[in-house]
Amino acid sequence: MFPILSWIIRYLFIALIYYFIYNIIRLIYLDISRINGKQKKKYNTPYLKLINRKETLDFEIEEFYDLKDATTIGRKKGNDIQIMDRFISSNHAKITMDEGEYFLEDIGSVNGTYLNTKKLQDVIKLKSGDRIGLGQVEFLFVKEVE
Amino acid sequence: MRPISILVIINILLFGLLYVYTEPLDTSILIAGGVLTLLILVSYIIIVKARMGDQYIFLLISMLSSLGIVMIYRLDPNFGFRQITWYGLGVILYFLSYGIFRWIRNWDEYMYLYIGFGIVLFILTFTVGTTIKGATNWIRIGDFVFQPAEIIKISFIFFIASYFTYPDKLKNIYYFLGISYVHILFLVAQRDMGMAMLFYSIFISIFYVFYKDYKLVFYNFAAAILIVVYGYFTMTHVQVRFEAWINPWRDIAGRGYQITQSLFAIATGGFFGTGLGLGYPDYIPEVHTDFIFSAIAEEMGTFGAMAVVLLYFLLIYRSFKITLTIQDTFKKIIALGITLTYSYQTFMIIGGVIKLIPLTGITMPFISYGGSALVSAFIAFGILQAVSKKSYETEELMDFEPQ
Repeated sequence: MFPILSWIIRYLFIALIYYFIYNIIRLIYLDISRINGKQKKKYNTPYLKLINRKETLDFEIEEFYDLKDATTIGRKKGNDIQIMDRFISSNHAKITMDEGEYFLEDIGSVNGTYLNTKKLQDVIKLKSGDRIGLGQVEFLFVKEVE
Repeated sequence: MRPISILVIINILLFGLLYVYTEPLDTSILIAGGVLTLLILVSYIIIVKARMGDQYIFLLISMLSSLGIVMIYRLDPNFGFRQITWYGLGVILYFLSYGIFRWIRNWDEYMYLYIGFGIVLFILTFTVGTTIKGATNWIRIGDFVFQPAEIIKISFIFFIASYFTYPDKLKNIYYFLGISYVHILFLVAQRDMGMAMLFYSIFISIFYVFYKDYKLVFYNFAAAILIVVYGYFTMTHVQVRFEAWINPWRDIAGRGYQITQSLFAIATGGFFGTGLGLGYPDYIPEVHTDFIFSAIAEEMGTFGAMAVVLLYFLLIYRSFKITLTIQDTFKKIIALGITLTYSYQTFMIIGGVIKLIPLTGITMPFISYGGSALVSAFIAFGILQAVSKKSYETEELMDFEPQ
């Protein structure tokens, strides 16, 4: 009984351990290609930079966010930038691109969106160096000039 | 499938097999295996969820340790249970050293402490140490023996790192060389040749990487060769090791017995091995510590042994990658030192048992039986994990910096 079991398991074991090694190599490969992808993308795309010190916020947040043609910010899942700040509404604000310019818009948040400490009333054009405030978080809008 | 689930399946298969292997069926091995697998699973989830940096290091370590524990249990159940206990302690220390290394900020300022720690432990080994198998390198506390050199390994790396961070702390480079050689001479005096070689390799590699004047590095290297030649002609135990390496077949019943048995075991295994519990690795003396690789090669085959070597490759590759991404000099040297220690150790013992290089009594990281070796390896990789957390944060910052 035991020899047969041991025979079967030795083949299973070898198959599994190589599968394990293959998986780790694949994950490491994905890891590295993701980093390379990031590096390629960073040219020309405007991004948001966090002004707050990361340690002072008690929720998960990234230091940088890339902007797409339309980027939504909010607490709900499905937003392009999801921030679990309780002062941010489920759907808080939106940044849209039109002919190379970026526009910030509040989409019915409770606590409002601020641009350079002024509360946002209407859609407004962003220029590089603008500060965007939502909830406890403050971002810097950075756009490279070619 | 994620690697962690494959690891769990492998553990279930192997521990299930061990349960059938013991003659009066013993459920305690199933429980021990279950606890071990659960411990790996929980620790891995903590590392991923708490974003503790690199997540592959722990996976690879756990795979290696599980294989080691299975093999040790198959060779001697008592040692197997003890190794599981050591593994548990090791995991706790892994997280502790991760926390402590991050908590204390100014590790690079305590150079004299690292020197003192190493020297005092060496002197203690001489005065109250016990001799086991011809080497006076153990300290006994109650029922429990440990090898101080395993811990000094880490303080030695810290010492080298803090010296190269602030080279002005010592009067000149010769003081640094002197202190390094004192460490190595203590090990030679304890007749622990493998450890002395390991310390020397770490020292010369970091010295080569971080010291500008290659002439001095070259002199050191030349001196080392002289010392080896001198040691060969004056110390009989070095001669014995060397002869057993050149031609073990001449004295097959005596000096060459261990190495020839190891070669027989590896040859018996073939590609797929005899199957766990069906080989006869017990013929090799010290099979559960130094020669565990031969036992793996016999029962899990060349493919199994190659898998083990590949796992070490991945572990070392990961460590080197962490080393390369760090900016801080002190942490860079620490990471490099830990990486080098375990890569040299792996090379020395696998090379030794397959008769590629002369055999030196050194443990196989994470697989060999041995409490102090396993625990110190866990502490070292816990520090590397802490360093990797930092390097990941800077890596993200670097990626997004506009150019």
